[in-house]
Parts: sequence; structure tokens; C-alpha cells
Amino acid sequence: MIVRLLRRLRALFRSEAVDRELTAEIELHLEMEAEELMRTQGLSHEEARRRARIAFGGIGRYREEQRDARGVRWIEESLADLKYAVRVLLRSPGYTIPAVLVLGLGIGATTAVFSVVTTAFGRLPYPNDEQLVRIYEQNSPTNRWTNSVADFQAMESQAHTLDAVGALSFRSAPVAAGGDPQTLTVTPVTSGFMRALGVRPMIGRAIEPADDPLGAPPVVVVSDAFARRALGGTAAVGKSMMIDGRAHTVIGILPPGVRRLAGVQSDIWPVLQVAPPTRRGPFGLLVIGRLKPGVTLEACRKDLADVSHRLQGVWSDFSDAEALLTPYSLRRMVLGDGAGTIGVFAAAVLLVLLIAVANVASLTLVRTTGRWHELSLRAALGASRTRIVRLVTIECVALASAGAVLGMALGAAGLRLLLAIGPFIPRLDEARLDARAVLFAVGLAVLAGVVVAAYPLVQLLRRDPSGSLAGGARTVGGGQHAQTVRGAFVIGEFALALPLLAVAGLLLNSFLRLQRVDPGFAPEPVATARISLPTARYGSDSAATAFWNRILPALGDLGGATLVGLGDALPPDANQTFNQNNFDLIDHPVGAGRPQSVSSWITVTRNYFGTLGVPLLEGRLFTPGDTGSAPPVVVVSRSWASHYFPAENAVGRQMIEGGCITCPRTTIVGVVGDVRYDGLTLPGEAIYAPMEEGNWRSSVHLFVRTRGTGTDALPAIRAALLAFDPGVSIDQPQAMRQVLDGSINQPRHLTTLLLGFAAAAVALAAVGIFGLLSYVVAARRREIGVRMALGADRQAVVRMIVARGLWLAGIGAVIGLAIALLATRWLAQSLFQVSPTDPVTLGLVTLTLLVVALVACWVPARRAATTDPARVLRAEG
Amino acid sequence: MAERADLLQGTLDLLILKTLVLGPLHGWGISKRLRQLSADVLDVGQGSLYPALYRLEDKGWISAHWGESPEGRRAKFYTLTPSGRKQFAAERSEWKLFSGAVNHVLRAT
Repeated sequence: MIVRLLRRLRALFRSEAVDRELTAEIELHLEMEAEELMRTQGLSHEEARRRARIAFGGIGRYREEQRDARGVRWIEESLADLKYAVRVLLRSPGYTIPAVLVLGLGIGATTAVFSVVTTAFGRLPYPNDEQLVRIYEQNSPTNRWTNSVADFQAMESQAHTLDAVGALSFRSAPVAAGGDPQTLTVTPVTSGFMRALGVRPMIGRAIEPADDPLGAPPVVVVSDAFARRALGGTAAVGKSMMIDGRAHTVIGILPPGVRRLAGVQSDIWPVLQVAPPTRRGPFGLLVIGRLKPGVTLEACRKDLADVSHRLQGVWSDFSDAEALLTPYSLRRMVLGDGAGTIGVFAAAVLLVLLIAVANVASLTLVRTTGRWHELSLRAALGASRTRIVRLVTIECVALASAGAVLGMALGAAGLRLLLAIGPFIPRLDEARLDARAVLFAVGLAVLAGVVVAAYPLVQLLRRDPSGSLAGGARTVGGGQHAQTVRGAFVIGEFALALPLLAVAGLLLNSFLRLQRVDPGFAPEPVATARISLPTARYGSDSAATAFWNRILPALGDLGGATLVGLGDALPPDANQTFNQNNFDLIDHPVGAGRPQSVSSWITVTRNYFGTLGVPLLEGRLFTPGDTGSAPPVVVVSRSWASHYFPAENAVGRQMIEGGCITCPRTTIVGVVGDVRYDGLTLPGEAIYAPMEEGNWRSSVHLFVRTRGTGTDALPAIRAALLAFDPGVSIDQPQAMRQVLDGSINQPRHLTTLLLGFAAAAVALAAVGIFGLLSYVVAARRREIGVRMALGADRQAVVRMIVARGLWLAGIGAVIGLAIALLATRWLAQSLFQVSPTDPVTLGLVTLTLLVVALVACWVPARRAATTDPARVLRAEG
Repeated sequence: MAERADLLQGTLDLLILKTLVLGPLHGWGISKRLRQLSADVLDVGQGSLYPALYRLEDKGWISAHWGESPEGRRAKFYTLTPSGRKQFAAERSEWKLFSGAVNHVLRAT
């Protein structure tokens, strides 16, 4: 078998050598035959040779048959066809260049998105990732939250369905590796976290169980990027760095490119050493686990429910009997709600690709009908039908391959572009144009080639090319059937472009509304920055209180600052995971064992409201008297007040905070305007607690109202803070206007991308209709000339052509509208205050598309109208 | 290719294999031996002979190598391979069965 294959390959690649052998063999045969004839019949040498040759038959034909017998003929012929196809394509750049460009763009965009989609939905980069779970506390299918130390330790010791359990906490802290401290995201993890994921450092070791206990020497694993940036690369292992005021020894460096573990992005992974819990809460740990081999998610769910019930028996301070530890597939959790965005995105790209292919198919159709004469000639000269079909197919595949090559380059560029503008897509940074993507692009190209070749091929198979030779080129070129098919292509293009335009229109409408949302604060002229105190020194309330009591009054006059406030949340897009608390209203208590309400819980200094311009609506704000020794007070937002006290006055009401029955009751002293903390699309229900009560945070957001503009005041404040304590870090200086704009980056990017796709789709559809009508006008030039000679005026001619185009576009738009009405509801979660079937948007979008179609029809129609009847008729003579 | 009768092709293959049972031969030698053995009844067209040789070589039933002919010329010699020998035996018994059956039919009145 292999020998045979080798021989065939030799025959293919060394066909000259094989032919030479053959010639020698034939020569020998002829020579011996001639000698025999000379000997037996006494013929002359010449005559003997002649007879020998006659006996042998046609040598050329014989060689052909030889090649057939060698089984390589079809390959040789295909190569010849390919050479021919490339020549033909190069000879008609007017067709080839647009076709390759359009296909390349389509394939490129689709390939880039394919990489993004397969990465986002694909396996996580950990061994046996299907065994990985993320564990939540959950009391209803829609309400789940993170875990507490008690939860984590219970699972670690009792869950028999889990091989490894790991916890991660998440905070910002000052980090100093050599230079000035910087506030960085720090993600302390237990040894089980890395063990569950199966992550090994490239150099050094991972965090191990010996590092876990409180009091063990603090160690840290860092990313390769951080090691290079701050610690001198691989020499980092063994070095010491300050994290949150404590010295940590670097024990390992993660492999290059790994900047995220279990979907959490961070450069610094110190050991998480948890103290034994004194109560069930607070719930601030992200916990993951690895299922034992063969254990199902359902079995683990039952196991963890048992653990939860035992926990409820141990800790009475947390009374929610419905809250159970619940495992979810980690892969699904990392994907999160990005699936919706990705879906919209992938669908949009596919639509553009389809329209692009339809366009090229239509273009090819014109070309093939134009080449009918040539193909007929070939058939008449003896080319078999298979051969002609192959010729056309190979030409289309060659075209598509060129498109694929271009597409691959564009895909790589597109992926970089996506990364640069970065719409929210999970794991975008992991996406690569890998072998799978290349295979996908090649597959697309072949498919596109086949689609493009399909109609001409059907025509070739149905009609006998040799028969139409007599008909001449002109009559077959404008075949009515081909026109109908092209018309169908145009209808299809408009039917696909409209939904895309509709989606872009709806997103744009939604985005414009989003921009007009009142964030609840006056962004100008306010600057913000993040300040972190090393907890080693400011961990105690008294130290932090002393620090802020001394420094805060001093900051008010610096660099044009008029008012300075602190808060532990940065509106409008605060990460609210850890800024929440549960409460029970004295006037409207929930029953024992029932889940209590949870609200955003923002801790602020008393100047926070003035600095951000949040209006007081009822009651009072915090006063200097609201300290740790006074009864606890809170201020609530307007929407919170109308949610929990719809018909009553909220001021003066009391609540139990965080399930702490023994703590003093908290009184609501005021109602302020809504500030949107959960993004601009969500109402701003919030409870504010005074920082001065002793709730000082080690990491806070500084807000400065200034006389100047932007972040002018911040350098002076930074200098003052560092002069006071060089271990304090202050970073991320921004104007609040910037923060506000940045918060809608994701919808902005999605809208921009979709507008881009829609523009491409509409342009392609316009090109499609333009091409068709131009062709029609050219083909009917004579008829138009005759009409005009008979008295039709120019307007009538223009109307006739435009009507034809608009009719096709109109049918397409109607079909597209139906598709849009069905499809846009998947968009609902990405839209803000806009219905997925918003009639105004859909109407405007349809109108836009038809206006574009009108313009695209107008140009060829004008050309038709400028036809000079006299000249046309004379030329036709 | 497909239009050619299988019978003829199969027969030619059988005949070629038969000529090679006695030892390696070059193309012309095979054609000459066929003529001799069939008492000049069968004159295989060379246009059929060489494709057949290549086909048989491709199937692995014969192998080819360049050597020196008794007349001192460089010639391509064909040799029966072991699998060719088996094929010959199989084809020969098939042929006997077939020709016997045909004769039987023709003899019947």
C-alpha cells in the first residue's frame, strides 16, 4: 500500500523522469520489433521502424493512458486547472480584487470572532476543568453570594465529594517591591486554590498546606509580568516584597501569560491565612473546589447541602435556613453573562459573512454567464463536462483560498483590535488564532468557494454547454434565470442587513439613553483617587482614626480643593460584591429562618455627600457627633426609602444590622438622592454608614471638589499624604467625568462594533443592488434606447430602473423586519429603556436602509437615462 | 477507462502473468512470448500492453527493474512477485471455471 502510494507520489512529482523511462521503454520496444521485422521479412530499417510504429499505435495517446494507469491524471489536471484559474483570475482584477477583499474581510472577521467564542466557551486552561466548581451561598435560584471563613473551613474538612477546596479573597492594598508603594489588586489564596486548579508556577513552588496556618511565614506567588516589571524577572524567587505593610517572601512565578486564575485577574497571589471564625459571616471569600473523579455536580450539591445544615447547627448568628452552599461549574461561572454579548457579536459577524458571500456569489454568477461562450467552446473542443465543472470549482476555491489567506491576516489584526478596544468578553486575552481557527478559516473558504460556485455549476449541469455555442455570447449572458437568482441574492442581502442594522440601532438608542441618565452626583469639578493604608500599621480602628483625624482637615485647603470626602465605593460602577450587608427592619421584620433583605452598604465620611453633590432630601446628614461612642446611625437613598417605606417616612426608623441581635439598633437619620452604584442601568438603592463611627477602611476612594479642573488638586494631596507616611499609597487619579464615561465603555464598544458591522452589511447590500442594476442597465441599453426613441422621457426610465431595485430591497427589508422582530428579543438584557421591538428604532432603521438602496439604485438609473437613443440604435445598426 | 470490457482486461492480465511465470521479461519480450504461445492468434496491442503492465505493477503483482537484455540493451524487466504468483493461480482457476462453463454452454444443443 505504502509502496504504491510512494510510486504514485513519484509519478506525480517526478513525472518527467517517469515519462523519460517510458520513452526509453517504448523506444526499446520499437527497436526490437523493427529488428524482428528486418530479420523475418527482410524489410529495410526504415520500413521496419514504420511498421513497428504503426503496430504500436499512437504514442501520445498511449502516454496519456499510462498516466491514467498511474492514477495521477486527475491531480495533474487539477494542477493545470489551478494554474489556469490563477492566470484567469489575475487577468480580470476587476472581479478578483473586490471578490477577494470582500471574502477576506468576511473570513477574517469571522475567524477572529470564532477564536474569541471558542476561547470563551472552551475549556479553562486547567487539567480536567470539568471537575472544577465554584461554590456559592444561595437562598434562591437568583440570589447567591460568596462564602465565609466558616463555610470554607467546613467544606475543607467535611465535603467528601471534593478533592481540593480553595479560597480566595480580593482586595486592593499597597504593594512595595523596591520603589514607592502602589495600590494593586491583591488576591490572597489558600494552598487548596492552586491545588484545585492544578496550577504550577514556572519557577519556584506553589502555595502549600504548610503555608496556610496563621503565623506561618507569609509567602507570595507573582505573575511573570509582575516579576519582570518589579522584581528583576526570574531572580524574584526568594526576594522579599511588602504587601499591605507585611514582608512576604516570593516563592514562585506563574508561567508567562497567566494573569488570571479561575477568572480572577491579579498579579499578586499571597497566601491567605484565615483566623478561626467567631461567627458565621461575613461572606467575603470566593471558594472553588475540584470534584473527586466520577463525582457528579448533583452528588456534590447534596454533599454540600449536608455541610450547610451542619453549619446552621453550629452558628446561630446567621438565621437564613434556606441558604445552602451550592456548587456551579467553574467554566460556566467564568463565562458569566458574557454569553449574551458574545452571541450578539457572533451572530453579527456571521450575517456580515453571509452577505459578503452572497455578494461574491452574485458577482461570480455574472462572470460565469459572461464566460458561457468560453465554456461552450471548451465543451465543443472535447472537454468533458466533469472537466468544465472542475475548472469552475477550482477557480472559485482558488478565489476563496486567496480570501482565506487575506482573512487569516485580517483575523489576526482584528483580534488585536478587539483586544485594544476590549469590549467585555470573558477570557478575550486568551484568544489566539490557533490551529483550530486556521482550520475554521480554511473550512469557511472551501464552503464559500462551493457556495460561490454552486449556481454556475447547477447551470452547467442542467444545460449542455456545447449546444449553446451557436447562440453566441450575447444571448446567454443576460439569461432571465440568472437575473432572478441575482435578484434573490439582493433580497437575501437586504433581509440579512436589516436585522443587523436594527440591532445596531437599538443598541445606539439604548446607549444614548444611558448617556443621559442622571448618575446622582455632580461629576464636575470632582477628582478621585484610591488611597490604601498598610493594614499592618493601621489595622486597628484607633490607628486609622488617628490617621484620618489628623490628615483629613489638612487636605481641604490643598491645591485648590474645597471639600474632601472619603467613601468605600466608586460610583457609578462600584464593584458591589463586598459592599453589601443584610438588615432586618424593626417595623417590618422578616420571620426567623427567612432570608433578610440585603442592600448596598456604603461607608462614607460626612463630607462625602457635599463633595459629590448628593442632595439631602429629608432628615439630616452625618454630624461630628456620629462617632463610635454614639448610637449607630445610617442615611438611606430615596429609592431605598420608597422601597421599604413606600407610604411612610423612613427617617427615625430602626433596623438590626448584619443579623447582629446583640448590637445596638441602627437608626435612619436622613434620606439623600439616589446615586447609581450598580451601574447606570440600575436604581441606586443604598444605605450609608458613617466612616467616623470607627468603620475606617484600609482602602478608600478619595473625592475632592476643586476650584480648578480635572485632577489638578491631586498631586498636592499625594505629597501631603506621603509626607505624613511614606507607606501610604495613592493612585488611580481620575476626574469623575472620566469615571462616569468609563462606566459605559462596554455598551459603547458593543454599540460601536455593531454599528461597524451594520455599516459593512449595508454597504455590501448596497454594492449588491448597485451591481445588479448596473448590469441590468448595460444589458437593456438597447431596449432603453428604443423606448426613449419612441418617446419615453428620462424620468420614466429612471423610475423604471429605481422601481425594480427598490422592489427587491423592499421585499428584503420586509423579510429582514420579520427576522429582526424574532431575533432582537435576545438583545433585551443588553438594552436600557428601549424595547427590543421599539417601533421608532425599527422604522428609522428600515427607512435608512431603503434610502441607501434608493441611492444605490439611482446611480445606474441615471446612467440609463443618459443613454443617447440615436447612438445606441446606430451602433446596433 | 471504464468503457473497456472487464473480461478483456482481466484476460490480458492473466496472460501477462502467465508469460512471467517462467522468468523476468521486458515489454517486447512479453508481447513476443504471447504471440508465440498463442501461435500468433493473440496479438496484444502494445497500447494495451504497457498500461496493463503499469496497472499490474501498481497492484504489486509484478515488479520492474532496469537491467541489461541478452542483446546488450538497457531494458525494463518485469518479474512476478509472490502476491502476483498467488493472483495468477487464483485467476487461472477462475478462468478455467469460466471457460469450462462457457464451453459447456456452447456444446449443449
